[in-house]
Amino acid sequence: MRGSRERLGAGLNRAWRIIGTGVSFALFGIGGIVIGLVIYPLTRLVSPRPDSLRRRMQYLIHLSFRGFVGFMNQLRLLRYSIHGESKLLRPNQLIVANHPTLIDVVMLISRIPRTNCVVKASHWHNPVMAGPVRAAGYIPNTESAILVERCHAALDDGQSLVIFPEGTRSTPGVRPKLQRGTANIALRSGIAILPVRIRCTPSTLTKGLPWYSVPARRFHMELEVGEPIDPAPYLRDHPTVNRAARALTRDLEAVLWPEAKADLVNPA
Amino acid sequence: MKSREDILSTLSALFAELFEIDPASVTLEAKLYEDLDVDSIDAVDLVVRLKELTGKKIEPEEFKSVRTVEDVVDAVEAMLGA
Repeated sequence: MRGSRERLGAGLNRAWRIIGTGVSFALFGIGGIVIGLVIYPLTRLVSPRPDSLRRRMQYLIHLSFRGFVGFMNQLRLLRYSIHGESKLLRPNQLIVANHPTLIDVVMLISRIPRTNCVVKASHWHNPVMAGPVRAAGYIPNTESAILVERCHAALDDGQSLVIFPEGTRSTPGVRPKLQRGTANIALRSGIAILPVRIRCTPSTLTKGLPWYSVPARRFHMELEVGEPIDPAPYLRDHPTVNRAARALTRDLEAVLWPEAKADLVNPA
Repeated sequence: MKSREDILSTLSALFAELFEIDPASVTLEAKLYEDLDVDSIDAVDLVVRLKELTGKKIEPEEFKSVRTVEDVVDAVEAMLGA
């Protein structure tokens, strides 16, 4: 008797989380459209200077993401914990994270009041995302050399920047291939990398899974903010920036994926 | 740096110095991006060094189509011949 009751409970819980996830994603989509069509034009009216417009939009997106994460938490879809959160609040830093799930950027920006962010270039042509990414002055993940210049300019301008050096979500169980753009941005702008390790258990919203394939239980997002990595010693120890970028990328990889390399397979 | 062999050996020394690439893997057929792990940021710095070495201009557009080490050798040969 008890066993079947528990199964029924688990089934109802799962059904609830499928509905809740659907409602959350619909809300996210509506939010994106409202930001693009209503909030952005209104903010533009009261923000004559482009940099104040961008700052305000970045803050509004932070508030929306904070509300969204709170909503998913209230619906008992997710739990989250953040270690070293105060380090995220420092101005003008390069925040670098691994990318296990669809909502990593939402989780991160929900804790950072104002930041720029490198996001998928195709979002500029997505009806839900185009408004917010343009309004906040986010940077599209185009070809590396141009990307590095744009990121450098944003950091020079005093903004913070969130970037996922894998360039896309991780494939579970596969060793990530880090792009060296992030290391080059740090080396060329002289700004330390603040590494954030994101873990999601049980894993969900991974690459290639549809949104409604919810995990067996409420998932837990853990954000662990590490210690800043100063690029200066890498420039001192290596004869060229290119070699310094290789060494810095290797070290960043070791910080973001401390688990035994043997557990991961090489990408195909 | 006249013959293609000279250009290739200069390139492999340059790749070792700039990018820590084993000179043995710098063959004509080697693909820059896939085999040698040279990215577009490295390519920009490579172009700067090639300009210094040859004293000639190189159009970034010309370098866009470069895929293999042989393509780089061709580009350098063209620079020297121009």
